[in-house]
Amino acid sequence: MSCVEGEPCVEGRKRRRAVLALGLMAVIFLALSAVSFLDSRGQSVPNTVTYAGHEAVAGKRVFQAYNCMGCHTLVGNGAYFAPDLTGLYDKVGPAWLEAFLPSAGAWPTGAAVRVQLADSDVAAESGVATLDEYLAKYPAAAERIERRSSHASTMPNLPLTRSDVRALIAWLKYTSSMNTEGWPPVPRVDGIAVRRASLAAAASLPASAGIAASGSAASGSAASADAVPSEEARGESLARDFGCVACHAADARRLVGPGWGGLYGSSVPLADGSTVQADEAYLVESIRTPDAQVVAGFTPGSMVSYAEILDPEQIAAIVAYIRSLGENTR
Amino acid sequence: MIRIEYATQRLSLRFFMLMLVLFFFQTGFGLLLAAQHVDPALLAGVLNFNVIRAEHTNLAVLWILSGFIGTILFVGPLLSKRELAAPALIKFLFYALIAIVLWNVATQVLAQTGVAGWWHGEPLLQEGLEYLEAGRIADVVILIGFAILCYVVLRSFPPLSKWNEIHWGLGIGVVALTLVWIFGMFFVERLDLQEYFRWYVVHYWVEGVWEVIHISLVGFLLVLMFRADIKSVGYAVFWGISLVWLSGLIGNAHHYFWIGTPEFWQFWGSLFSALEPLPLIFCFWHIYLDAHQDGKPIRNMPAFAFLLGSVVLEQVGAGILGFTMTFALTNVWSHGTWVTLSHAHLALFGTFGMLGIAAAYYAVPIMRGVTGFDQRHGKLAFWLVFTSMLGLGFAFAIGGTVQVFTYRTLGLDWFGGDVAPAMQFAKLMAPLFGTLFTVGVCLLAYDLLTLGLTKPAPSARRAQETAAMAARAPSRWGRRLTGWEAGLWLLGLWVAGAVITLGLLSFNLPFVQQGHAALPYLMASIGYPGLFIVTLLFVWRFLSSLEARTHVDAGLPLATAAVAPSASG
Repeated sequence: MSCVEGEPCVEGRKRRRAVLALGLMAVIFLALSAVSFLDSRGQSVPNTVTYAGHEAVAGKRVFQAYNCMGCHTLVGNGAYFAPDLTGLYDKVGPAWLEAFLPSAGAWPTGAAVRVQLADSDVAAESGVATLDEYLAKYPAAAERIERRSSHASTMPNLPLTRSDVRALIAWLKYTSSMNTEGWPPVPRVDGIAVRRASLAAAASLPASAGIAASGSAASGSAASADAVPSEEARGESLARDFGCVACHAADARRLVGPGWGGLYGSSVPLADGSTVQADEAYLVESIRTPDAQVVAGFTPGSMVSYAEILDPEQIAAIVAYIRSLGENTR
Repeated sequence: MIRIEYATQRLSLRFFMLMLVLFFFQTGFGLLLAAQHVDPALLAGVLNFNVIRAEHTNLAVLWILSGFIGTILFVGPLLSKRELAAPALIKFLFYALIAIVLWNVATQVLAQTGVAGWWHGEPLLQEGLEYLEAGRIADVVILIGFAILCYVVLRSFPPLSKWNEIHWGLGIGVVALTLVWIFGMFFVERLDLQEYFRWYVVHYWVEGVWEVIHISLVGFLLVLMFRADIKSVGYAVFWGISLVWLSGLIGNAHHYFWIGTPEFWQFWGSLFSALEPLPLIFCFWHIYLDAHQDGKPIRNMPAFAFLLGSVVLEQVGAGILGFTMTFALTNVWSHGTWVTLSHAHLALFGTFGMLGIAAAYYAVPIMRGVTGFDQRHGKLAFWLVFTSMLGLGFAFAIGGTVQVFTYRTLGLDWFGGDVAPAMQFAKLMAPLFGTLFTVGVCLLAYDLLTLGLTKPAPSARRAQETAAMAARAPSRWGRRLTGWEAGLWLLGLWVAGAVITLGLLSFNLPFVQQGHAALPYLMASIGYPGLFIVTLLFVWRFLSSLEARTHVDAGLPLATAAVAPSASG
């Protein structure tokens, strides 16, 4: 198709027809668009979805404010640096998200998820009361705890408040309830088994080797409880199992909460302007009722209460561990 | 044309220079992204991936726009046969563009602490939506900038009755540029509706508006470079634009497969976006025709090389790679993976970026009054960015194929533990090609920034070079490229595209879904390298045949068409 020199190139009728065809296509497109958003389709909408009293639309604002789409994808759109989040809520459940989001730099442990289930809102939204029931209901959470807990994640810790976290979960609850016409495709195989088989074949090792290695982290605490470790060592393993270390560094760095290194015995400035000595009594109280004395620069409600989860002996062990990380005698 | 005819054409120079500076920084951010893909801990917490990515994509849009504005301002007076209207407004536009770039670069960083600047439900500072990350304040200022551009273009053009197809293309282009932008200026609660309107801006900009501006500008640059007949170029421009819209209007449906909109979009999207390559093939054919309408040597080789690169990468990146993933049955796999990145980089940089660089190489020597300049830097820079962008496309495509299998087929969703390690080879290739690309960008930015400002190369060296080139007999590789041969090259590209498409389709096979990756991996490792190597060879062949004209002027019969009178007089 080309215009030859010397011939008239303006084909008026053909061109008018092309414009007409274009008009027809615009009509088709607009008609299809109008049908797409009719209420009768039954597509889920965010202003009817809430999670523990937080609205999905509020979560969308948090999602955009942190530019989550700049690493993740949602309905497949966004960056390809991190996983798609569309159906995540249905897969891992709210308690796992509650445990993960405030301290995203590390993957939550089973105990950290159990801590969240102690909250009646979270338990109600999860539809289960105990961790075992939860893991049975949300196998993806079980898989994550088995393979990832105690590993660092590649996501940075974000300064999300407790209500930000819950709003985000409400948003993900909405996206999970959307009908996305079968996307993403459902895997037909157990990918972990395929991966292990191919790894094992490559290393000519039995296929179970990988399972043993990845499972050991989660079951470590049970095995080591039989021996008689020092109180600090017991505290250290408790701090790891209950996910304390996802927020509290072993040195003075601030991850999500204050670092534990050199904390014991130091004087801590509080949000109300007073200061307090970080002695045994203060640390015990901070674990049992974190919001009673909030450190300056931190928001109340960031940490859940461990009063019902840890017994006094366990709390004492954790405090002994904190003490072993450097005592401040100033 | 060796000197400018209208004084206001000089206003384009500053936009070309700004384009180069922004391109440099955009490339730098891209290199950082590639490095973070290799080591996610790099700069984590200091400058997070999402912020760098927002800077990377926003600067890409802004430097391409800067190149468009420069090109439009340069050709505007030639098209209108009079000076541009309101030069003071154009100067204001330039400073406003710099201000909005700095503002937007700064506000994107707020995403790290979750500050969007909510005010009456609208995010004033940044809004965290891919490609539309700019906040409402920047949105409004950009809208005003577009309106100024519209005003300048429409006021400069002759009366409506005297418009030819290029006037119509550019006129509609700048007005649509402004109108479509408005769809991205509202906070939308529903995810499906938000995505629906987000693609209005992104798809209709790229496929509807930029493509129209691209066709018009390529057409007019061909008129200027080859003294092609403005009537026949106008004919090509009309049908090019018509085909773009006839396919692209409903073709937008390929973005509506999985966002929560009904299934029928899969039919409309697959059907119409499969037609989207047609205008690109048409454009490809016309650059061949126009470049061969006489046998005269090309006076400005870098400008033509980038123009050819633009049309060829449009064919490869937008046309072929877009085609491979546009069917619901292939898109269900490629969607949301690195496969998309391969298409996006080649299409966006290739089509639109290279056009701006081509226009700069054409216009800057004229505006600086340079009659003959050392073209070696420009040619080397072309080959550096062209080759390394194909390399990046290869890295993304291979990485994407592995990602589809690991993430979708096996369902492994641990990016740190499963997906990223599987993609490690591709993730290492990206910064390697990225570094090469950066070298090319530095070279071409340096070359264009300093062109005509430094003393010309010693004439002795140039004479020596010319003698050396003349001594080289025109080889078979440099013989005249016939239409048949160009058609065969195009066919070769599409055969590779077919292999890629079948490779993506093979993810639907039951035995692949049982965990056997060999078939899709094999198809990808034939298709993608095949496509990129044929592309490379074809451009080399095309440029060699034009390069050879310098020496065999007398020996070749002129093309049948008589030398048409120049449109610019």
